[in-house]
Amino acid sequence: MELTVRNMSAGYNRNEILHGISLEIKSGEKVFVGGANGSGKTTLLRVLSGIIPHTGDVLVGGWDVSSMKRKDVAKLIALMPQTSDMYFPYSVRETVLLGTYASSGNSFFGSDSEAVQYADKCMEDCGISELKERHLDELSGGQLQRVLLARTFAQKSPFLFLDEPGNNLDIKYRAELCDKLNDWASGKTGDSDNTLVAVFHDLEQAKRCCTRAVMLKEGRIVFDGGISEALTPEMLLKVYDFDIGTYSKI
Amino acid sequence: MTKKGTGLKIVISAVLCLFILVLAIRQGSVYITLKDLFGIIGGHITGKGTPGGIEPMMDSIFWTIRMPRAIMAFLVGGALSISGACMQALLQNPLASSYTLGVSSGASLGAALVLILEISVPVLAGFMLPFAGFVFGLLTVIAALMLASAIDRSVSNTTVVLIGMILSLFVNGMMNLLSTLNSDHSKQLVLWMMGSFSARGWKHCAILFPVCIIGFVFLFAMSRKMDIMSFGDLQAQAMGVDAKKTKIIAILICSLLTGVSVAFTGVIGFVDLAAPHIVRKIFGPSHKLVIPMSFIYGGAFMALCDLISRTLLSPREIPVGAVTALLGAPFFAYVFFASRRKR
Repeated sequence: MELTVRNMSAGYNRNEILHGISLEIKSGEKVFVGGANGSGKTTLLRVLSGIIPHTGDVLVGGWDVSSMKRKDVAKLIALMPQTSDMYFPYSVRETVLLGTYASSGNSFFGSDSEAVQYADKCMEDCGISELKERHLDELSGGQLQRVLLARTFAQKSPFLFLDEPGNNLDIKYRAELCDKLNDWASGKTGDSDNTLVAVFHDLEQAKRCCTRAVMLKEGRIVFDGGISEALTPEMLLKVYDFDIGTYSKI
Repeated sequence: MTKKGTGLKIVISAVLCLFILVLAIRQGSVYITLKDLFGIIGGHITGKGTPGGIEPMMDSIFWTIRMPRAIMAFLVGGALSISGACMQALLQNPLASSYTLGVSSGASLGAALVLILEISVPVLAGFMLPFAGFVFGLLTVIAALMLASAIDRSVSNTTVVLIGMILSLFVNGMMNLLSTLNSDHSKQLVLWMMGSFSARGWKHCAILFPVCIIGFVFLFAMSRKMDIMSFGDLQAQAMGVDAKKTKIIAILICSLLTGVSVAFTGVIGFVDLAAPHIVRKIFGPSHKLVIPMSFIYGGAFMALCDLISRTLLSPREIPVGAVTALLGAPFFAYVFFASRRKR
C-alpha cells in the first residue's frame, strides 16, 4: 500500500503552513521527517492522517484520506500526536484498549478478545505490562509516552505516523524504541508491509530508526533521499540554519 | 477495580437510591407505613384501586402528589447528571455542563417572554412555559454551535465554551432587562429561575420519561466514544472518532435532556457538576459506568434535595435549586479535596 501526496497545501485558518508538497512513500519504508521548529512537520503528519483540511491530493492505497470516515482512516493510519491531553485518570490498560476502537469488531461493548490479546502484547512490547493497573496520573513522563506508544501500536494499522515518539524517554528506552520500530516495520512483530513516518528532534535516533529522510524548510520539501545524505553538516546548515562546525568548536 | 468490587458498589448504590426514593415519597406532613404505600402502588398498577382500610385522601396524597413529584425529581436529577457527565468528557472541561452552553439562560428568556407577553397556545394548554423554555434553550445552543462553526471550522472546545458563555451573558442581560421593565412578573420569574417540583404530576413525568430514555440510550451507546473524546479532539480523531460530529450530536442530546428538565422545573444547578465527579471517584472514569451511575446518583440526590426543600421549613417550601447548592457544594468540596489530599 502506497502513500501519495500531490501538490498538497495546508494550514490553520488562513495561515498556510505547507506549500505544494509532493511525496511518494512506498510500503515498508521508514521515513524521517526533519526540519527546524515551525517548518511544518507536525502539520504534515496531521494532513497525512486526514485531520487537517488541505488542497491537492493525499491518497493512501488510492483512497483520498479526507473523504474517508475517521474510523476507516484509523484502520489504515495510526497517528501518535506530540501532545497528550488527559483529563480523567484512566488505567494504563483501559487507555491502551481504547487504541483498538477502530480495529475491534464490536466497538460498543468494548474490544473483542483478539483485540484485547493484541493490546496486551503491545503493552508487553512497550515494557508497561507491570503498570497496567496504574492510573495515568500516577505515571512519569516517560512511562506515559510508552503507554501512548502502546496505544498507537494497538490500532494495528499498516501506517504508523509518530510525532516525536522519543520525548521523555531515557537512553535505554530510546534505543529500545528504535529496535521496536525496526521490528515492527520489517514485519517481525507479526504484521507485514508496515510503513513508518516519524518526526524526531534527536538526529541520532532518526538515523537508527529510519532509512529515508524528508527535510522541510518553511513548509517546503528541501531534501528527499537517504538518511545518511540528509544528516551532513551542509544539510543541517541548510535545513536548521545550524553550523555544526562552530558548535563542535564550542 | 475488580469486577466483583464494581458489582458490589453498583448493588449498594441501587439499594441506597431506592431507599432515598421511598423516603422521598413517605416523608412529609402526612406519614404512611410501607405496607400501605406498596398497597396503594400495587392497587394502581393492577387497576384494582385503593386497597381496603386506606383512606381515599391518603391514596390521593401519595399517588397523585408525592409519587409523581419524587419520580420527577429523580428523572430531572438523572437527566441533568448524565448531560453534565457527557459535556465534561466531550469538552474536556471538568466544569462544563449544558448550562455552560447557554441552555438555562435561553430557557429563562423563553419563559420570561411567555410570562410577560402572556402568550398562550391552546394546544399546549399548561405546557406553554416549559415548551417555550425548552425551545429557547435549544435555540441558544444551536446559535452557539453555528457561531462556533463559523469562527472555528474544527469547532474546538475553547471556542464552544467561550461562545456559550458569551451567548449566556448576552441572553441573561436581555432577561434582566425584561424583568426590570416588567416588575409585575419579576417575582414569578425569580421563583422559576430557582427551581421547584411543586405541582408536578404524572402528565409531566409522562413527557420527561421518554426523553430520559432516549437521552440515556444515546449517551450510553456513545460511552466508548466519550472515553476516547476525553483525551482531546486530536487524539480522538487519531483513534478513529469523528470529533466534530460526535460533539454536535452529543450537545444536541444533552440540550434536549437539560432543556426539557429546566423547562418543567426551572433552573436547578450543581447536580450536573457534582454527581458525575462523585461517580468518577467511586467507579473510575469509564463512561460505561459513569453514565448509568450518574443517572442513579443524580436522581437520588435530586429526590433527597426535593424532600428537604418541602419538609425543612414546612409548610413553607425552599427552592430546590438553593438546596442542591447548599447541600451539594460542601459535600462535593469534601469529596474532591479529600481525594486530592490523599495523593
